[in-house]
Amino acid sequence: MSYLHFPRIVFSGDFSSDVSTVNNDTQHYNNATFESSFQLPGQGATNGWWNPEGGATFGFQNCTIQQATNENGTTITDPALDGIIGQLVTGAEGRNSGKMVDLDPDQQMVSELWGVTFRILSAHNELLLEGRIKPTGFRDLQRRQTNGGQPNGQPMGASWTSVLEDVKYGKLAEKSPILMALKAKTQQNKISINLNGFGYYYAHADGRFSLGKILGCIGPWFENEPELFAPARRLYGVYQRGQVFGGSNFIFDADNARLSIDLGGSFPIADSIGTINTTNDFYLAVSKQPLTNPPAIRNVLIDSSELEIIGKVPYQQGSTWLNSTCGIVDFNMLSADVVNDLKNSQLVLVAAGSSSTQYLLIAREAIDGIVCRADNFVQRIDTNQKVTVNLYAYQYGQPLPQTEITITMEPPTPDTPKDKNSPPISITYGNNKPQDGLSFAPSCQTNAQGMAQIEITGNSIHSPRVYIDGQIYLLDYTLANQQPDSAIPGAAPMSISIHLRDDFPIPETPTWSDISDMMTQFANLYPIMSKYFINFADPQAMIAKKDILKFAFTRDIHDPIYMPATRDLSETKRLTILKWLDNPIVDDPATAAARGIKLKSVDANAELDTAAPSEQQQKLVEATKAKNGSLINFPALTNLFEF
Amino acid sequence: MLKISPKFVSAVQNAKSLAELFPMLQNAIELEHSTIPPYLTALFSFKANTESDTRKVIHSIVIEEMLHMTIAANILNAVGGCPAISRPDFVPNYPTHLPMGIGGSLIVGIEKYSLDVVQNVFMEIEEPENPIEFKTMALAATEATYKTIGDFYRALQAKIAELAPDELPGNPAKQVTSSFFSSDLLYPILTKTDAINAINVIVEQGEGSEVSPLGTDDELAHYYKFEELYKGRELVRDPNAPNGYSFTGPVIPFDPSNVLPLYPNTKAEMLPEGSEERRLLDSFNQTYSNLLFGLHQTFNGHPDNLNNTIGLMFDLRLACQKLAEMPFPGQDGYTIGPSYEFVQPTTQL
Repeated sequence: MSYLHFPRIVFSGDFSSDVSTVNNDTQHYNNATFESSFQLPGQGATNGWWNPEGGATFGFQNCTIQQATNENGTTITDPALDGIIGQLVTGAEGRNSGKMVDLDPDQQMVSELWGVTFRILSAHNELLLEGRIKPTGFRDLQRRQTNGGQPNGQPMGASWTSVLEDVKYGKLAEKSPILMALKAKTQQNKISINLNGFGYYYAHADGRFSLGKILGCIGPWFENEPELFAPARRLYGVYQRGQVFGGSNFIFDADNARLSIDLGGSFPIADSIGTINTTNDFYLAVSKQPLTNPPAIRNVLIDSSELEIIGKVPYQQGSTWLNSTCGIVDFNMLSADVVNDLKNSQLVLVAAGSSSTQYLLIAREAIDGIVCRADNFVQRIDTNQKVTVNLYAYQYGQPLPQTEITITMEPPTPDTPKDKNSPPISITYGNNKPQDGLSFAPSCQTNAQGMAQIEITGNSIHSPRVYIDGQIYLLDYTLANQQPDSAIPGAAPMSISIHLRDDFPIPETPTWSDISDMMTQFANLYPIMSKYFINFADPQAMIAKKDILKFAFTRDIHDPIYMPATRDLSETKRLTILKWLDNPIVDDPATAAARGIKLKSVDANAELDTAAPSEQQQKLVEATKAKNGSLINFPALTNLFEF
Repeated sequence: MLKISPKFVSAVQNAKSLAELFPMLQNAIELEHSTIPPYLTALFSFKANTESDTRKVIHSIVIEEMLHMTIAANILNAVGGCPAISRPDFVPNYPTHLPMGIGGSLIVGIEKYSLDVVQNVFMEIEEPENPIEFKTMALAATEATYKTIGDFYRALQAKIAELAPDELPGNPAKQVTSSFFSSDLLYPILTKTDAINAINVIVEQGEGSEVSPLGTDDELAHYYKFEELYKGRELVRDPNAPNGYSFTGPVIPFDPSNVLPLYPNTKAEMLPEGSEERRLLDSFNQTYSNLLFGLHQTFNGHPDNLNNTIGLMFDLRLACQKLAEMPFPGQDGYTIGPSYEFVQPTTQL
């Protein structure tokens, strides 16, 4: 089951994400070379990017239920038929709304939502449904705006998929047949949810700074299925280097002769609010031949004889189509031929041209219909901690049992000497090293449900990045003997992203010198705290606020108040801070040096590893730059779908 | 001298049952809350990292107002009532008179910090019935012919003593306590004695006593703390002074250029629809209203929710400080003040 299954409820509106940006630059982590200009707005590493005073807040704004589809596939848009239509989607009551944070400056491509509550309310503030979104990172980062990202500054969008946990239904929910049907169908009191975000504003324009558009959908969830991605089939863009229709989930229900596809995260839009100015006729079809096309610039034409046409994508219904349907389209009553072919042939999205015999290939299903994804694909691991990651494999929507999945650590990426960085501030250190930082089995086997598990253990590492805690590791997974599919969208789409924290023993009696480095770094990176609340670099300021700090540093990690909001502090460092707050001893640096405490915030004269990064790693670097708005001149895509 | 309409004191004095005190205790909660937005606004109108001495004083007072609001809600729960916090009419429409006709003609607004506001608003709000006159300060002659906030609380105290059973009838599980307050000051109100003692905390922290500027916690009462700010000197023990104290302590420095030029009594509707400024103020008001919803839950059977609201208080503060730095569109030389307007979640629709 997934958010695409029935019963399904879709909503749209805005999201606010007040992420902080000083921490987007690795060089800013070096206390020894930190300058106050890094806390000021402005591009480039000598400034703090577009939102240095961000507070990491994430929340739903102006979101309303647009439509709902019941179990027999009928879509409802009239509140008279189900009172859920038009109701408000909002965040928590009586507590703050949630946080959005990166895993690490070296892995900013899986930004996670933490502590986000999801509620549906009536116009009279009565609860219909409430649940907590299980923390999840975004995936399928893909280009959305064809206009080059003006005026907002970020032309890309991405998707968060998760489950709502601890779901509660308000009394009023009993009056919504759709909600009652959803309640009856779901298992373990969890509901599947998908959020497609786009049109995010880096720019102070349109009154929408730090706002984006969001298209959301909730549907049933079943046990023994993934929580953080939909067990769906996947369609990948291959036209214009895959810059349009990059990645879309779809499900095919052979029993009910039905196909449901989510184009909400992939449909090319003209502007930041979801207007579509494309006029071409798009069709979904089944390809009679297996396709392996990579994303390319050259047009690929398919003869109509090679296609079984399913139907036209009905998007030409006015400018609000995307925001009112969330881009989800159902094709019911598929023909017997289509039903038969879709069971083991690829779906394609094609554009019609002037000739009725040829179609332009826009997107194709994954090669061989294979989808292999890690579920809990973002991990924070402490020394000697063991985590289990679940992986699932499907072919044409069916679980792939007894299939081997191989896991490999990516090779180390090079260190960059200070003078090679632009501007030169500090050495930046590479990732995935030491390679023995993590222990894991190199392969695993799927079970009858297509699920495999790997255990990953964090080993002791000692500041391989000198002034940034721990290390970032990417573990790549792939089905053994399966051709890699270069059309899969997103940066590092087939990787598990891990932040392994430094081995940091808790001192018997911690003094300020034991924590001053981490607290100073905190003060540097989060000016919103040092400017408006407390200067973490000042032990006396910490002591003056110790009660509230102890409160924040002892919250559950899922609590939106948890400190640090970035959730990047190892357990032992967190406990050391707490231990110090209980007995705050402020020593001087000379005493600290005598005790052998060495501050790490200096450029070490380490031997640097400058081997060239792999193509995949270089892509990740470029994608990070794009996400951060460094590539402000995203060229507009013109003359799309002409052939 | 801050007056209260005598009808409220009479209403307390004439009460024949605890239930008749419910609206009076609700008034007390509203009164304590009504001082918080003005004090917080002054507190957050300073430029970042300036005026730490003044900040400390206002901060200590506003925290105690939060304590008083909590105590008043605990007492209402203890006598069997239900605090109502998340209602539009709970929030004053600043600039306004305080609840219960308090202060007569005194108008309390949402303004930046100034010595004028300290003297003419904050000291007025906190003024005891008979302020002790310390050296260098000559107060206007006072007439004790009307009722004060202190009178109101003392009347409540007397009426609870008269009407309530020793064990108060409210559900003890509704009592709110917090690790942020000493258990001497904030404790579950279970008995008549607890209620009487708790009212002393409110009155003495606010006014001090007739003979000392100190409250039960040995801290200066609010009135005298504000007076310190106004005089720019700490009030310290002074054996040579007639009342044992004088404003001869360390200087409390204040530089008016450290105050951001908040537009007085900003309202959301003054800002252009669809502007970034409007959105930030709307978001401030949503957070504020959400905080009131959270406190309503807290005081209505979910005391553990208090911890959840702390994140909202933090967000509110950050938004307020960001607004205070943001130029007010169309009002040259001003920045945006917080407006503390109640919004229902669904007004977003």
